Amino acid sequence: MISAGIDIGSRTIKLVTFDGSRILSSKVRPNSYNTIDICREMLKGVPYDGIISTGYGRHLFSRHFDCEAISEIKAFTLGAFHTVPGCRTILDIGGQDTKAISLDENGKISKFEMNDKCAAGTGKFLEIMANALEFTMNEFIDSASSAEKAEPINSMCTVFAESEVISLIGRGALRDEVSLGIHNAIVKRSVSLMKRVSIRDNIVFVGGVANNRCVQSLIEKDVGTKISVPDNPQITGALGCALHHNEKAINSI
Amino acid sequence: MNKIVNPEPLFVDEYTGEPPAKRVLGHIQSKREQGAAVAGLYCGYAPMELIHAMDIVPAVLCAFSNAQIEAAEEHLPANLCPLIKSSYGFVIRDTCPFYAVSDVVIAETTCDGKKKMFELMSHIRPLYVMDLPQVPDEKEARDEWKSMILKVKSFMEKHTGKSTTEDKIEASIKDTNRKNALMRKIFDYAAMQPPVVSWSELYDVIFIAMAAKGEEINPRLENIIEKLEKRVERGYFHGQPESPRVMVTGCPVGGDALKIFKIIEELGGVVVALDACTGMKSFMDDISEDTGDPVGAIAERYLRIPCSCMTPNNRRLTEMDKIIEKFKPDAVVDFVLHACHSYSIESFKVGAHIKNKHNIPFLKVITDYSDGDVEQIKTRVQALFESI
Repeated sequence: MISAGIDIGSRTIKLVTFDGSRILSSKVRPNSYNTIDICREMLKGVPYDGIISTGYGRHLFSRHFDCEAISEIKAFTLGAFHTVPGCRTILDIGGQDTKAISLDENGKISKFEMNDKCAAGTGKFLEIMANALEFTMNEFIDSASSAEKAEPINSMCTVFAESEVISLIGRGALRDEVSLGIHNAIVKRSVSLMKRVSIRDNIVFVGGVANNRCVQSLIEKDVGTKISVPDNPQITGALGCALHHNEKAINSI
Repeated sequence: MNKIVNPEPLFVDEYTGEPPAKRVLGHIQSKREQGAAVAGLYCGYAPMELIHAMDIVPAVLCAFSNAQIEAAEEHLPANLCPLIKSSYGFVIRDTCPFYAVSDVVIAETTCDGKKKMFELMSHIRPLYVMDLPQVPDEKEARDEWKSMILKVKSFMEKHTGKSTTEDKIEASIKDTNRKNALMRKIFDYAAMQPPVVSWSELYDVIFIAMAAKGEEINPRLENIIEKLEKRVERGYFHGQPESPRVMVTGCPVGGDALKIFKIIEELGGVVVALDACTGMKSFMDDISEDTGDPVGAIAERYLRIPCSCMTPNNRRLTEMDKIIEKFKPDAVVDFVLHACHSYSIESFKVGAHIKNKHNIPFLKVITDYSDGDVEQIKTRVQALFESI
């Protein structure tokens, strides 16, 4: 039996298929105004017996494909706990959401927090800041990683932070130090979100921003412990959906 | 269980199917035609029994529409609580029918935003700001609040020509107590598992029961209880037997803020306890009778209202314990309006209490009257239900 999971995020759509023991396939595509068309395209030729959706487009998808939709909190919890068994704290930084989830020893959600409705401290925030510095994402990460010290960025509002960056550049600040300052800002916010759900050992960092190794190492420095990042952190939510489908199918046999 | 659909509506009158405000407006207008004066109110601290005893009909003023906020922001800061902005927008645009028929307005110093907003509208209608003691367990608080009630009485006498006697106030206290007892009986049907009454039905009943005297509304309340009893006999219930039961606490909920109840229901939950001033709060407690000091008795009861403007407000937690014990919610949503600092700060204490004492999943939702965050709230509420 093949279970599929689809995570329709604000920036990207992630699809995973799972056969009960291993991931068979995974795909990541940019999202756009025609979400359902993109989903159909992604599913073309992918064999699966059942699917569950999550992410902002979960209800839209579940209406079109007549399937179950679960919250991102649940999807990321299932996906992360499967990838890193025994994890107790999850940090997910996606395109427009940041989530911190604390789990009990059995992987059950004990508390969760999400950022407000704006893009402050999310992947979108980093994209806009990279753009303001005229960097690609990889150049931006390299630049921040190479800086010795950081320019402080005080504003977490994406719009205000962008003007702060522009005025820093106008004052002659070093581009690398501004890059690091931006990375520090997002880390500060994420760590405070994790503290709200109380940081426990065995932290897993997932979502698209978990691919950013500078953010990862800054979080590690801040909380004073190593954190786990799965090989493909972006697909954690979609994997959680596929796992949930698989478990339900097994239980209903 | 076979689901019985389309139960008999609790109210069968010309307002059935209309927003509950219309029924209340109809009530106020008919009272007015009979010679009553009208007092516009913004808050649950307004002494209803005194108002009724003076042959004045209370009118809860509009405060829950997003559409009024734009006009309000011409004068008020944007980062203010939506309830204050909406209230003010209604007044300056003259779009609140309750305000239009009010002879006087009674206001309270429940927060800085409201206090200063009242100053900006005090020239439009005679308005009295009652200075509310906010450390209610201090021994002076009762007498201070009693003297405020006597002052608002003089204010209403002056502007409406109405008056009253101690006996009438005492009778009004007893009238409220009888009404509250019937209201609590109605709430019992929400406490059932599964509930036999929906949040929107409760909301309709609460809306009219706030404005009307017991003697005016009690026969209808008794009729509603009979209908609810029949529902029980027929095996009707609201939602599904497995629907998560939700208690919503926090800021007042009405109009555009009803989105929180709608989201909970859309995601398969049932709202069984409405713990806000627009909900069950004002009916949960009685006023002492035959004390020989009816105004003092009223003062004491109102100071027991566990609003977050009070400090330390531990009464909110003990009242919540009672509500949880009775209504047995599976989850608690703390509804906080954007920039309502007192409820927002208190939420930390409430959340810890719910978690530690009751071990029920808890969710704080900070929002305004717009619908821009409905999807974000849905994600959180869905996750809350998944964590039950």
